[in-house]
Amino acid sequence: MIYKETGQYKSSYKSDHAIFPLLQDKIAFSTLMFIAFLIIPFVINSYWEKAILVPFLIFSLAAIGLNILTGYCGQVSLGTGGFMAVGAFSTYKIMTYFPDMNIMIIILISGLITAAVGIIFGLPSLRIKGFYLAVATLASQFFLVWLFNKVPWFYNYSDTGQITVSERTMFGIPVTGAEAPSYATYLFCLVLVVTLSFAAKNLIRSKMGRSWMAIRDMDIAAEIIGVPPLKTKLSAFAISSFYIGVAGALYFAVFLGAIEVTESFDIMTISFPVLFMIIIGGLGSMLGSFLGAAFVVTLPIGLKFLMVDMVGLSAVTAKHFEITIWGLLMIVFLIVEPHGLARLWSIAKEKLRRWPFPY
Amino acid sequence: MSLEDLKEIPYGKTAIELKNISLAFGGVKALTDVSFDVKKGEVFAIIGPNGAGKSSMLNVINGFYKPTSGTINFAGTDRNEMEPELAAKSGIARTFQNIALFKGMSTLDNLMTGRLLKQKQNFLMQALYVGPVAKEEEEHREKVERVIDFLDLQSIRRTPVGSLPYGLQKRVELGRALAMEPEILLLDEPMAGMNVEEKQDMSRFVLTVNNELKTTIVLIEHDMGVVMDISDRIVVLDYGKKIGSGLPKEIRNNKAVIDAYLGVSDD
Repeated sequence: MIYKETGQYKSSYKSDHAIFPLLQDKIAFSTLMFIAFLIIPFVINSYWEKAILVPFLIFSLAAIGLNILTGYCGQVSLGTGGFMAVGAFSTYKIMTYFPDMNIMIIILISGLITAAVGIIFGLPSLRIKGFYLAVATLASQFFLVWLFNKVPWFYNYSDTGQITVSERTMFGIPVTGAEAPSYATYLFCLVLVVTLSFAAKNLIRSKMGRSWMAIRDMDIAAEIIGVPPLKTKLSAFAISSFYIGVAGALYFAVFLGAIEVTESFDIMTISFPVLFMIIIGGLGSMLGSFLGAAFVVTLPIGLKFLMVDMVGLSAVTAKHFEITIWGLLMIVFLIVEPHGLARLWSIAKEKLRRWPFPY
Repeated sequence: MSLEDLKEIPYGKTAIELKNISLAFGGVKALTDVSFDVKKGEVFAIIGPNGAGKSSMLNVINGFYKPTSGTINFAGTDRNEMEPELAAKSGIARTFQNIALFKGMSTLDNLMTGRLLKQKQNFLMQALYVGPVAKEEEEHREKVERVIDFLDLQSIRRTPVGSLPYGLQKRVELGRALAMEPEILLLDEPMAGMNVEEKQDMSRFVLTVNNELKTTIVLIEHDMGVVMDISDRIVVLDYGKKIGSGLPKEIRNNKAVIDAYLGVSDD
């Protein structure tokens, strides 16, 4: 009843191929965009910005990146942390050398640099697949973090090895640095995430996306119909790394402000959580990337609220519980719904279509 | 050499010629000195007992295997081996014995992959999804919809092919090959595992494609009734060697072929 698609006829291939073919989806999306752009910026406070919204947006972007590579092109990667570090350090170095450059341009260039690095580390994917490729990308994770740690040029020879962002403005309002207001950092991330999400969705629904999925599902058949495997896999690595690089740049410049590479881009703090996001959210689903990011970002906050504020456990005990529950949820998810939250959502839509008269 | 050159070959002239093809995997000789030619516009069947090298022959034609020796004359060019991408570009499409569809994608998307080589827009345009990309996408969708109509796939347009029954998957795979608008269509056991009705449907599709689109068809099939009915010429392989070729009625009475299929008594 609520989610009724009968009567919505498509009279052209264009409307049939739209991103949101159903009226209900269009309304829901427009409402969401209205709230995100025109309401939240006026009510946002520092807690919501730092704890929930900005990390959610940044990790959504990283999850989209990894989902392009793993979910759509079928190449498992554990190097997300390393690639995010490339984005962060590129931003830092460009900021040092070009103090007057616009922050938006800096971040996009950092994405391009990460894409180039991604292509290099994607080269083994032509020869190795599956678990073996995962191990090869794991090497990139460790190598890149080691590189940024060992070569002082990357952190401008500072004593601590930390890199710190300087203030940059968009339209006269600071978006990086300690002085940046909450709404500015939030809107800056939001604009980038929305634009890049549409770009990703467009790629996925056209030639590029179909080539990726063909390689994912059966590379031999893909080659027979004329999809070049090397080029297609490398394009997935490049575009995926671009998204992850932009996420890394935002993570450093807008979100944290100051980072230390081994701590911030560790495999346990970035690579695995982002992989969990796309598994929990749904491999090969744009919606899944967002749902997964939202789940992973809000779960610790929810659990902490439940255990510390409601039950009254000590913070340390709560942290232990959190890790346990986290692992448990992972297992439950993989057993009960291996296709993730996106699949749950499409089941819910199926139910809503019939509600309240399931025959 | 391009698709245009191939189209210019007159009906009934040689479309592809295989000369003295040998293929060995280490010590195993899959094909030994096999020669035959396929005329444009005919239905050409390759038959033979299990392990005769039929599928290897198709793999050589579309470049998946590189022959150890011999030449492939395709549209007037002699080459020692084909490349899969070149084969696809020059209008050779194929289906597989064990269905090789993209299981996670819908029927529509599977057929759309058949159009990938003909889509020319670059990725930046695709990301923006502006005018030319949308237009190109619609053009190809229209072509694909014709294939969907032809093969009666309308009701499963949005279904992931992994969840379709076997017979339909075979049909979708044929559809993907047809979406490429091939000049030569290689079918590896298109009717394996089908019941009589499904075989009749499939034979009808194959003959219609051959008659209406003038597509040259090279076919491997075990059902002799079907092969004798629909093919114009037949080549018979056994243990990687050619043991006979000719019209169906000649093959039916060929002593060597009968021996290969039924065995020879020692006395």
